[in-house]
Amino acid sequence: MCAATYLRNTLKLQQFLGLRWVSSTASNKSGTTVIDPPDQSPLIPLFRNRKGESIQRLKARLLYQSRKRGMLENGLLLSTFAAKYLPVMNENQLYLYDQLINKPSNDWDLYYWATGLKPTPKEFEHEVMQLLKDHVKNSDKKCRIRQPDLY
Amino acid sequence: MSSLLKVHSILAKHLLSKVEQTQPVLSRGLHISVNRKDAKVSGDVSKVYPIVDHTYDAVVVGAGGAGLRAAFGLVAEGFKTAVITKLFPTRSHTVAAQGGINAALGNMEEDNWQWHMYDTIKGSDWLGDQDAIHYMTREAPKAVIELENYGMPFSRTTDGKIYQRAFGGQSLKFGKGGQAHRCCCVADRTGHSLLHTLYGQSLKYDCNYFIEYFALDLIMEGGECRGVTALCLDDGTIHRFHSKNTILATGGYGRAYFSCTSAHTCTGDGTAMVSRAGLPCQDLEFVQFHPTGIYGAGCLITEGCRGEGGYLINSEGERFMERYAPVAKDLASRDVVSRAMTIEIREGRGVGPEKDHVYLQLHHLPAEQLASRLPGISETAMIFAGVDVTREPIPVLPTVHYNMGGVPTNYKGQVLDITADGKDKIIPGLYACGESASTSVHGANRLGANSLLDLVVFGRACAKTIAEEHKPGEKIGNISANAGEASVANLDWVRNANGSVPTANLRLDMQKTMQKHAAVFRTAETLQQGIKLMDSIYAKLKDLKVSDRSLIWNSDLVETLELQNLMLNAMQTIVGAENRKESRGAHAREDFKTRIDEYDYSKPIEGQQRRPTSEHWRKHTLTTVDENTGKVTIKYRPVIDTTLSQDVATVPPAIRSY
Repeated sequence: MCAATYLRNTLKLQQFLGLRWVSSTASNKSGTTVIDPPDQSPLIPLFRNRKGESIQRLKARLLYQSRKRGMLENGLLLSTFAAKYLPVMNENQLYLYDQLINKPSNDWDLYYWATGLKPTPKEFEHEVMQLLKDHVKNSDKKCRIRQPDLY
Repeated sequence: MSSLLKVHSILAKHLLSKVEQTQPVLSRGLHISVNRKDAKVSGDVSKVYPIVDHTYDAVVVGAGGAGLRAAFGLVAEGFKTAVITKLFPTRSHTVAAQGGINAALGNMEEDNWQWHMYDTIKGSDWLGDQDAIHYMTREAPKAVIELENYGMPFSRTTDGKIYQRAFGGQSLKFGKGGQAHRCCCVADRTGHSLLHTLYGQSLKYDCNYFIEYFALDLIMEGGECRGVTALCLDDGTIHRFHSKNTILATGGYGRAYFSCTSAHTCTGDGTAMVSRAGLPCQDLEFVQFHPTGIYGAGCLITEGCRGEGGYLINSEGERFMERYAPVAKDLASRDVVSRAMTIEIREGRGVGPEKDHVYLQLHHLPAEQLASRLPGISETAMIFAGVDVTREPIPVLPTVHYNMGGVPTNYKGQVLDITADGKDKIIPGLYACGESASTSVHGANRLGANSLLDLVVFGRACAKTIAEEHKPGEKIGNISANAGEASVANLDWVRNANGSVPTANLRLDMQKTMQKHAAVFRTAETLQQGIKLMDSIYAKLKDLKVSDRSLIWNSDLVETLELQNLMLNAMQTIVGAENRKESRGAHAREDFKTRIDEYDYSKPIEGQQRRPTSEHWRKHTLTTVDENTGKVTIKYRPVIDTTLSQDVATVPPAIRSY
């Protein structure tokens, strides 16, 4: 499909749905209108809950998954969060945290939600997200420049 | 003293269920003896490692942009392909790339890929291989259109074309036509969109993902690569992938330094695997720095801060850039700013308890200006450094941003070594692409938005080369019964390591030493001192202490394996930097300030005698490293100046100025 047809079709779809996605990007000083079409890339497998995982094993997995992120910002935020809260979380909180760090496909989304730069979707608006948001605020002005040592 | 590897006939139950049904994974009885330092037995499961064997046409290590593009290309051609990755694919470091991808599509003004080629060669400071740069820039428009067809929702102009923006280092008409608009993006999520699209597309075919598996070593037989070994983090099983073709796409090793912008997972695993196989790495001394990352954290503080009137200060509160660049001051070029910051620190005017960084001051600017012109900066500074930018300065440091060096390959993605008489020698069965490779399109310095292009073009090239030279189901050379033994022995040793240095301590020592001695300020003295320190740090690998003895989701174990990898990268980087006695691109020596080519290109070439290779530095460094001692050996490889075809002329070296 040629680009122009694609745009026409998506514009129709947009009008039909009453959506607005035509925007002018900040970096664009020449005044050209830049259009960000909706994402229609192929689906990827959804995160599946693991069955029969012991609490100890779940915590070990979440520790690894908190420290091993694609971007350093989340690597720092989640590793410091995990060091503080993983040992004391109850089963339900662990479940919520698992969903929170494993379900979103784009790590930037998680970062923008936790820092308040974008609104958090309802699905993730829960007590663990609140703990994470408070942690991110850094109201006691801690210097978080390294992942905490494991031992 | 030895123990048996448990003979198991287990299926790889953690694979996709479809795979289980249709392709039962072969498993064989294996007896591999493991030498263990610690001979303590007593019902300890630690001495038992179940081994699972797999056979594939191709195995890709790493599921970032390069690995996914290669994997997709392979499955689309019918090759039975496995992807091994320590992270879920969309969580690869490619996700951090928000910028975009260069291609001379000519959507905003007339453009020509040969202009892009010129810019890239100039950017590489003539250390790039021109056949590979020719290939990359020529293929760029095709590669981007392919991505569009696979579903990447590129930002568009109102007439429906892919929108392209300006990026530093990109010019029109061979540097004479002004700024080019060449960078295609998907809003501010280009990297994520690339990962998402390629992962999704590859799954339309039968691509087998081994997610959260940590690759250990290459399986080399008779100079050929016949697969890899990996550890499944979820159940502690060892997997041997017997494969006709192996592609390394493991990314860079920014974490060898204290302050870097890369994710904590960028630990140079592939380059280290190649090093352990006795093969060379290329040009590791070329490391790109960004002047202002938050000290230690690595978060980038945009240069826009200085554009808005922010300035750098030292421990005396002095605005020191005025001394180094009286006119441009804080707006001087990146390398001038990085160097000045480093000199301030070296001369004792750094800030903080270790006096090892400087401050970026913004609080003299009106709060409204900070909020409107520099969105996100105040949040980043508060979240990571605990700094309120309206009252306090931000601690900053030149921060590692990209590794130009890596596994040497030709433009087809085939891994190279060099013969005794200086000819390129292809390592059969082994390929590399992305930041882990040195193809070498970036040479001594990488241009913005050329890295995503590198991933896509050479991931694709690896798949194309394999498709041209092989068929699905081809016979694979045998691997010996005890293949992978050394990797298992090392894993066992690490897991039981009971010395006196915790992994985190040794890692920090290495990172601080590399930051202090092998960053932007390089002299023989600092580098030689650094090498001595790194030698003693390397020796401490034998005295590591790992606290977690388990095999399942053992972060301590993984981070120790990663430290071993980082250390191999770091040693080759610092020794390569000491050895290269010139300044070129990102490698700036205070004691050898000029670039040393075969001719002095600042003058007419007529009448000049061509310097022999031993007396100039327009050559690639090839380093190998002894895994036991950390001792590095250096060879050289000529830079390729010839292009792929006669209708495209070589860009002759010139003095690089912007």
